[in-house]
Amino acid sequence: MARWNSVVVALMLMAACPCVEAQNSAEKPSAPKTAGSVENGKRYFASAGCITCHGPQGHGTALAPQISPPPLELQAVIGYVRQPTGKMPAIPSSTVSDQELTDIYAFLKSITPAAEAAPTAAGDAANGKKLFSAYGCYECHDRQGQGASTGPRIGPPRISLAAVLHYVRAPTGQMPPYTAKVVSDQDLADIYAFLSSFPPPVPSTSIPLLNP
Amino acid sequence: MGRPENDSVDRRSFLKVAAAGTAALVTSPAGGAPPELPHRNASAPILPKPPVADAGASAEVLTVDRPGSDFMVDVLKSLDFEYLCANPGNSYRSLHESLINYGGNKAPEFITCCHEESSVAMGHGYAKIEGKPLLVCVHGTVGLQHASMAIYDAFCDRVPVYIVLGNFSDAGVRYGQVDWTHAAQDPAAMIRDFVKWDDNPLSLQGFAEAGVRAYKIAMTPPTMPVALVAGRELQERPIPENSNLTVPRLVMTSPPAGDPGAVSEVARLLVAAENPVLVTDRVARTPAGLAGLIELAEVLQASVIDRNGRMNFPTRHPLNQTERAEATIADADVIAGLELTDFWSSVNSVHGQVWPESRPTTKPGAKLISITANDLYMKSNYQDFQRYQPMDIAIAADGEATLPSLVEAVKLQITGDRKRLFADRGVKLAKGHQQAMQQSRDLATSGWDASPISTARMSAELWAQIKDEDWSLVSNCKFVNRWPLRLWSFDKHYQYIGNEGGYGIGYGAPAAVGAALANRKHGRLTVAIQNDGDLMFAPGVLWTAAHSRIPLLIIMHNNRAYHQELMQVQIMANQHSRGITRATLGTTLVDPPIDYSKLAQSMGVHGEGPISDPQDLAPAIKRAIEVVKGGDPALVDVLTQPR
Repeated sequence: MARWNSVVVALMLMAACPCVEAQNSAEKPSAPKTAGSVENGKRYFASAGCITCHGPQGHGTALAPQISPPPLELQAVIGYVRQPTGKMPAIPSSTVSDQELTDIYAFLKSITPAAEAAPTAAGDAANGKKLFSAYGCYECHDRQGQGASTGPRIGPPRISLAAVLHYVRAPTGQMPPYTAKVVSDQDLADIYAFLSSFPPPVPSTSIPLLNP
Repeated sequence: MGRPENDSVDRRSFLKVAAAGTAALVTSPAGGAPPELPHRNASAPILPKPPVADAGASAEVLTVDRPGSDFMVDVLKSLDFEYLCANPGNSYRSLHESLINYGGNKAPEFITCCHEESSVAMGHGYAKIEGKPLLVCVHGTVGLQHASMAIYDAFCDRVPVYIVLGNFSDAGVRYGQVDWTHAAQDPAAMIRDFVKWDDNPLSLQGFAEAGVRAYKIAMTPPTMPVALVAGRELQERPIPENSNLTVPRLVMTSPPAGDPGAVSEVARLLVAAENPVLVTDRVARTPAGLAGLIELAEVLQASVIDRNGRMNFPTRHPLNQTERAEATIADADVIAGLELTDFWSSVNSVHGQVWPESRPTTKPGAKLISITANDLYMKSNYQDFQRYQPMDIAIAADGEATLPSLVEAVKLQITGDRKRLFADRGVKLAKGHQQAMQQSRDLATSGWDASPISTARMSAELWAQIKDEDWSLVSNCKFVNRWPLRLWSFDKHYQYIGNEGGYGIGYGAPAAVGAALANRKHGRLTVAIQNDGDLMFAPGVLWTAAHSRIPLLIIMHNNRAYHQELMQVQIMANQHSRGITRATLGTTLVDPPIDYSKLAQSMGVHGEGPISDPQDLAPAIKRAIEVVKGGDPALVDVLTQPR
């Protein structure tokens, strides 16, 4: 199995079938007491059995995707571990606590990502905008890829183009597949370029309407 | 019955009444011409004519001083209906006239509707605010066919609506095509699978007893729609002389509460649990349910997940874990479902697209408890009862009615040690809640300035304008990512009324108008985020809102599509690896786009838009609110993101 970038975790966490009422895209358990310890995280990563599927450095194996560096925020990762939507088994806090997951997160963040295949050609954002609409991506991810209950935020993307190319062909959550038969790699590169043209969201504290 | 001294109409009048009170109506042949003069045909009147006092005068009786429908109004008035929502129908013409004249068009007041689906859905929304049903009248055949989806929605949502069906019961006096095509041997048959009870009384006294019984049955949990046939002959024939008709007294049934032994066992499990979770959909049948759930959660310091079929639990309560439901369920060792419509989906997840499989989301050994009135009454054909979920304890009782005894049972079992543990748990849950709320705010910033307007932005702009009012949101938040529930502060029962029940689209607009009608006398600002496709099923309800001066602020969620179905077809195209650009065929409302502002104005409703720049939202909403505060409905058309 090809290596997947850690964003697959995000997509699996966030993607939801329109035919069911999607829950909030990422879970937020109680805050761990301290920031993560890389040293402890490396130990927990092994003792909790994560290495069995994700590999010793979290670079992925045939059983599970790459998760280093993690593509999601810490709380989203903790939420996903508690309630995974793919093949990963749920891991309750009695098995691995939030603090231990925080340490694991710090460990994974410290790891240099594995090399990935470069895209074959730079993307055309203008064409990507047309394709994003024509291929129906906006239906679940909204017009600017900002995300909804039906699909996570993908604009701007939080994973590499290579990871996107891999995931959309064989998604593991509720997202329907976009096979090579219907969407070319170049099309996806164009869509990626379009999504990359958006700025990241601003902090909610900067918006008065969200802090009445 | 004596003959009137003067004919009330000319001898060539269009309506003659048989001497004994048999009514006959001859309608024109198909083609729409005005009704012909009635004439006697070969089938003689069923009852003999009374003796004619003056042999020289006309033998025909043209007036009926006390039609049976007057007594029907006596029965209906005893049930204290505030309003009647109806589209007029000749099968209940006499009842209609009795209601507006004999009844004075008061309690109930006739609210004219343009579609029978709107009539019933208005009753659906009204009942969720007011806690009691509206009266609805429909034709027993064509009217009922129109109304049926709305009745199904109310049935699935466990909401009482009281429906009277007109019918041409007696074949001997059906004259013309309309009488026949609007007649049925068993009018309620087509809805029997999704009403709680129905009857077809053959006498006025029978109508009285059935009428009162129907109300009692509708209002006993699980509450559901009921139907009562009012045969036209029974309506129009005079009340017999010297009849001794009485209207029985209505005595409501106390809601069924849980068995004390089972309740005590539930309390034991909840008190002993490390991570108890209360999951609810419709436990707050009334404001008492909201208060009861708060008390139970606080005494236990338990997580609460609200599926929002009603306003069950304050959204900003620190124990509300709805926005981190999956993690909460995964950690739970005891899960109590209180009027939880779909328990199975709360504890199982589905994976796989072409060949879906499910797996439990609870940890091994987690105990499952159910308290629901649905276990007392379940029909079989329509599958709204959901998938079967094995329980450890299942109590067939009304959740709200059981809460007081459950709270007492819990209190009896709490020790000092448990209290301290509960306090610690409460602190952790409060932190989790705060983080989940912050996460919602963070997620809301994506696409904040986008056009079409993000549903988060729209919800936040709306909140800024209404938060200091006595507001009530009467629309389903699901299609706008639940943003109001995630960003606003809900703490009163009338602030949210849930969804369609049966997911029959077309509920939204009329239910909002019905809920606004209930809110009107309380002086509340009623708000609806209205889906475009939903409104287009029967937009005439906008006229009803204008005509009846029902104040309602409508903010359109105009994504120009039946978007749910668009996504479904997209999934199929992708699965079939073909035509992935064609899913919009048959699912979108474009070319031309519908102008909802003009649609509203055409029906007498203040209308603005379409608005595509989020900067324009605040002033438009403000203007619309001024209209609504003046007592009228107003609509702001907003071009939004798909979700």
